[in-house]
Amino acid sequence: MSGLLDKFLSNEEGSASRNFLVSAMWWSLFGMGAGLFASMEFYNPDLVHNIPQFSMPHLRMWHVNAVTIGWLSMGYIASMFHMVPTLCKNKLFSERLGNFTMWAWNLLMIGAFCTLLNGNTEGREYAELGAILDCMAAVALCTVTFNVLMTVAHRRVKKLYVSLWYFLGSLFWFPLVYIIGQRTFVFLPGLNDAIIGWFYGHNILGMWFTTVGVGIMYYLIPRYTQAPLYSHGLSMLGFWGIALFYAPTGTHHILQSPVPEWLKAIAVISSIFLLVPVFTVLTNFFMTMKGKWGQGADDLPLRFAMTSALFYLMTCLQGPFQATRWINWYIHFTQWVVGHAHAALLGAFSFILTSAVYYMLPRLTGREWHSMGLVRGHYWLKFIGFLIMYFSLTVAGLVQSAGWAMGFPVDQWSNTLYPYWFVRAISGIMIVTGQALFCYNAFRTIYTPKAVEVTAKTREVKV
Amino acid sequence: MNGYGYRLGAIGIISTFFIIIFSTVLMPMVLFRPDPSDTRNDYKAEAKVGDPVRGRRIYVREGCFYCHTQFTRLQDREYGPLVKAGDYVYETPHQLGTARTGPDLTNEGNKFPSEWQKAHLIQPRAVKPGSIMPSFSYLNDRDMNDLVCYLQTLGNKRTVNHYVAAPDEYQVSTPVGFALHERKHVDTNSDASANAGRGIYTQNCAACHGLEAKGNGPNSISLTKKPANFTRPFYKQYDDEMWFYRVSEGVVGTRMPRFNLILTEEERWYLVAYLKTLPQDVEQTIDKLDQLDKLEPIRLPKLTKQQYEPHSGGDEH
Repeated sequence: MSGLLDKFLSNEEGSASRNFLVSAMWWSLFGMGAGLFASMEFYNPDLVHNIPQFSMPHLRMWHVNAVTIGWLSMGYIASMFHMVPTLCKNKLFSERLGNFTMWAWNLLMIGAFCTLLNGNTEGREYAELGAILDCMAAVALCTVTFNVLMTVAHRRVKKLYVSLWYFLGSLFWFPLVYIIGQRTFVFLPGLNDAIIGWFYGHNILGMWFTTVGVGIMYYLIPRYTQAPLYSHGLSMLGFWGIALFYAPTGTHHILQSPVPEWLKAIAVISSIFLLVPVFTVLTNFFMTMKGKWGQGADDLPLRFAMTSALFYLMTCLQGPFQATRWINWYIHFTQWVVGHAHAALLGAFSFILTSAVYYMLPRLTGREWHSMGLVRGHYWLKFIGFLIMYFSLTVAGLVQSAGWAMGFPVDQWSNTLYPYWFVRAISGIMIVTGQALFCYNAFRTIYTPKAVEVTAKTREVKV
Repeated sequence: MNGYGYRLGAIGIISTFFIIIFSTVLMPMVLFRPDPSDTRNDYKAEAKVGDPVRGRRIYVREGCFYCHTQFTRLQDREYGPLVKAGDYVYETPHQLGTARTGPDLTNEGNKFPSEWQKAHLIQPRAVKPGSIMPSFSYLNDRDMNDLVCYLQTLGNKRTVNHYVAAPDEYQVSTPVGFALHERKHVDTNSDASANAGRGIYTQNCAACHGLEAKGNGPNSISLTKKPANFTRPFYKQYDDEMWFYRVSEGVVGTRMPRFNLILTEEERWYLVAYLKTLPQDVEQTIDKLDQLDKLEPIRLPKLTKQQYEPHSGGDEH
């Protein structure tokens, strides 16, 4: 009995983090694969017929949920379960609870797979999951919060490093944002539903993916470069800036709908103010990196982190720009916005999570990476694939916005977008291939019995 | 640090978060409570044929809102008047949408016949060549009928007469448009001008749009984007400026050329006069195969002398 317990709810150090990582990679293949499939259907709408599970909207819901709730969120929790104990110089409060959360989260993803592809959705963008799955996600998030909070409470160092601020902040507000944003048991009139929907839709990005992702960057970049952080004061300014300015920006998604003007004004102004935390955070990174950019030539995980920081800069310059009323007037409703969403989630945060995986997995398993060639292949496939996708979507968006602005009927100019759909599908193939190489590499690293001398220490503590 | 830093920080995070929740989530719920407007959707329009409320659930289930929006903006032409806050009182979950990969559906009701909508859901490219909408042929009959019923309630039978407007530079209200109208001397409402325009139509337009203006001219076979069928009642809402604008500047993404490079302003106004006579009162749909190949004889109206020679003065009756 206890053998079974140890097998499924292991108490071994680092097992929760490792299991979360493996699950994240598993779901990433499903999520990105669904995105690729959907992008092919854009180019050839008659690719499949009469199969509701492969219908484009169903694939899209599953794609969005699998990459956000599956790949990114699970990977983030894995990173927190590794980084928080390291920064606190102790062990995770409860590996068993962590593994329990891992099972609950995987069950949630299986539920999402079975329901979303059949269209069992609540019909709210980014909050598609049904009532039972919402409750499971809320419970799982609360157990993660409890686990991390107890680890921090039992820490052996007095001072909290800035990554811990970001992790604790995210774990405090994200469960609340999630519960408010799901609107599972409340039925609000249309526009109020939209206001809260976009409060959630933007804050799952702003108060979870951004804040945890930046926390991971703060952890990884000084580690890779073996350099102290440029300024702890700036890092605090960036943290409070994000906490203040990110949350009210959601309404900039519905700037031209009949919601109150004061709410739109708050959203636009705080969107522009977001430049403050972005520039503080990035100044801090780039000054820490000063004189060490050359290291990226050899150190592939560092290169992933650097690329992520640059894409973060690009995304965050674009965000306030397109949140202003006149730019929004022109490019809203188009594929430009889809490109922007991919720049944030794929370009910035997927890259930093990948970097974290490359950093953590040797330390969690005590094995070196199976093949650095595969890592290099993964980097270039994803980097070039992402750039192609981003630019094809952005240009397609500009064509569309010209069409809307000139008032041409959509079916008259939708044909002109075929080249962009085609290029986007090609870039999707590159990205999914890169991710598959990554997962294969991780699989070989973890599961191939190989006698190697361990060079990386399991827990390298240096703050 | 004095030992309170951590606690102060925690209090800071918590209060920041709650202030934001209060200002952007709770305050709109208290302050922003629009009354239902006259044009809200009451889901009654087609209730005899199917169940529009269930159709809305199908709309949500099939994820239509990922590509179709349900709100019109100031700059949107062809999609009806600007929406009001009260239109959305009964819309839960909201279907405002985020991207327009397809057209806006705010006023979709009554735009096309139900049979057309159904055919379009089953195989979009059969009725709209070049469309990238996925086929929803897997929906069973009941789902399909309910969904079409729901689509027909959108806009709540709003009767919109003039919602297609040409850009500002074609309107009298702007200096450029005013100058254009100053130069115009063609009476676009007279039969004489229409007949003058018919010759121009036959020479320049009929190759694609067809002699009957049904969009089935000989060139249309080779075009991916089929030419417009001017006999559709939809075109009744086009005013002179809109016709003139379309003829002058062509349609981006199609083979429709910019006729301001080919025809003079006068010729285009004559053409407008003819085009205005084409829309019919009811949509003509072909539902039998043998109608497809049927060649209709060309009918020319009996013309008076005045109509043959519009500039001759017309005083010789």
